Amino acid sequence: MIAKKILLSFPQKSAGQPMAMELIKTYHLDFNILKAFIDDNIKGTLLIEIKGEEADIEAGIVYLREHQIGVRDIQSVVEVDENKCVSCGACTAVCAVGALEMTVDWSLVHHDDKCLECMLCVKACPMRAIHALI
Amino acid sequence: MAKTYQEINEKIARGEAVVVTAEEVIGIVKERGVQEAAEYVDVVTTATFGPMCSSGAFLNFGHSDPPIRMGEITINGVEAYGGLAAVDTYLGATQPSADRGIEYGGAHVISDLIAGKEVHLVAKSQGTDCYPRKELDTWVKLEDLNEAYLFNPRNVYQNYNAAINGSSKRIYTYMGILQPNMGNITYSTAGELSPLLNDPLLKTIGMGTRIFFGGAQGHVSWMGTQFNSACPRDDKGYPQTPGATLALIGNMKEMDPKYIRGAVYEGYGTSMFVGVGIPIPILNEEIMSFVAVENKDLYTNVIDYSVPKKAKPNLKKVSYAELRSGSVDINGKSIKTSPLSSLKMAREIAEELNNWIKKGEFFLQEPIQSFPMGNTIKGLEIKEGESR
Ligand code: SF4
Ligand code: SF4
Repeated sequence: MIAKKILLSFPQKSAGQPMAMELIKTYHLDFNILKAFIDDNIKGTLLIEIKGEEADIEAGIVYLREHQIGVRDIQSVVEVDENKCVSCGACTAVCAVGALEMTVDWSLVHHDDKCLECMLCVKACPMRAIHALI
Repeated sequence: MAKTYQEINEKIARGEAVVVTAEEVIGIVKERGVQEAAEYVDVVTTATFGPMCSSGAFLNFGHSDPPIRMGEITINGVEAYGGLAAVDTYLGATQPSADRGIEYGGAHVISDLIAGKEVHLVAKSQGTDCYPRKELDTWVKLEDLNEAYLFNPRNVYQNYNAAINGSSKRIYTYMGILQPNMGNITYSTAGELSPLLNDPLLKTIGMGTRIFFGGAQGHVSWMGTQFNSACPRDDKGYPQTPGATLALIGNMKEMDPKYIRGAVYEGYGTSMFVGVGIPIPILNEEIMSFVAVENKDLYTNVIDYSVPKKAKPNLKKVSYAELRSGSVDINGKSIKTSPLSSLKMAREIAEELNNWIKKGEFFLQEPIQSFPMGNTIKGLEIKEGESR
């Protein structure tokens, strides 16, 4: 069993429900809605966590894509806006696992696979350059 | 052989001046020695880009018809000072807004103005015979204002404490978020690139010095507040604690929003990131030996910010090379260190100033007055009694 976070975008808002039922039944996957985004009533976006066997998850993602649902792997629920970041380093002070780090030339680097989602960096950033997807 | 400001400016005009950053000069001095390097290099550029709370802007809005003597003033919901003449105000960087609090404050209004955005101006007044209007509600841009200049009473600290938290609770400070039980250390400096650490005794930086200020050419206008030039120093003169500061002035209309940015320190307040670059003329060997300083020879103290007193415990004296290494050892425990001011942006500013000088767009201004070296700072005594 593995767990994975994915960001789904639907062409129509209504397409979400049957897709979810299908995922559970056909691919024996469990899923958890972490956040639903509403975008002009035209397009819906959903951040979900899916749990199951790796092969089943992969098959499930293929199924979603076949149904015109956009799928994006999310390593970390925090994102750094590069246009706002000034590489001050304040966020690295609170990131206990080193997911946010300064490079040798003192730029900020975000290793999103290391992130533990403690969300402390969101508050620590003076430029408000870090936002959380959930 | 000594050089004068005039000689260096003539070289700049001819496009012949040798200009390097305060980081680059270290290698040059190591290679050629102080004497030869002092002859070769004409100007060394220094810079810093970090949070500087004691900042703000003087603005003049021009007169409406009928005119108003602005009393209560807000700009995008941020209160500005109404105690100047009719349409003058001072907007402080740390003033929070009524609706968004510290998430949007004076510093954000200032950077929005510099970015050319329209801001919402609301003013009230009692109404007078000469200024009959009582209310005003309009939108203005930087280009609509008569004058708009930053006047920052205290910027570019010469050295500053590093911060740690010795308590068992997380604390939120202007030195960032500090984790409990000495979980981390923060520091705020450009170190060997920092302006006042390269001219520790203020031999070339004084009133009138022309500088890079927020992307514009500005000036040092006075000594900064809490000017502590009498601070403890090492044998060579480098400050061991917070020392001198500068008051800066510059035209907002010539600034770049990249170098003036609103900032928020969680649980503390709004601040402003200010980009400053100061050129140091290499007039003689003494000045060259000062700018050759390295992070390993610059020291500060790790101070426990969890102690709610003015005099906070000093845990350890550390060099900026140690702080930059990523961890510092305190009582046998290795503690992670993180910067708060951007060395990356400071380097960009030092390069930019360097280019201005090389292109002959920026000339040195000799100070018209030097700052006092023996200045100390006073505390504030709390006196009892309702009247005296
Ligand atoms: S605290 Fe914000 S601005 Fe500073 S380095 Fe981190 S993301 Fe960038
Ligand atoms: S959420 Fe926590 S673990 Fe993830 S990057 Fe931010 S501080 Fe680091």
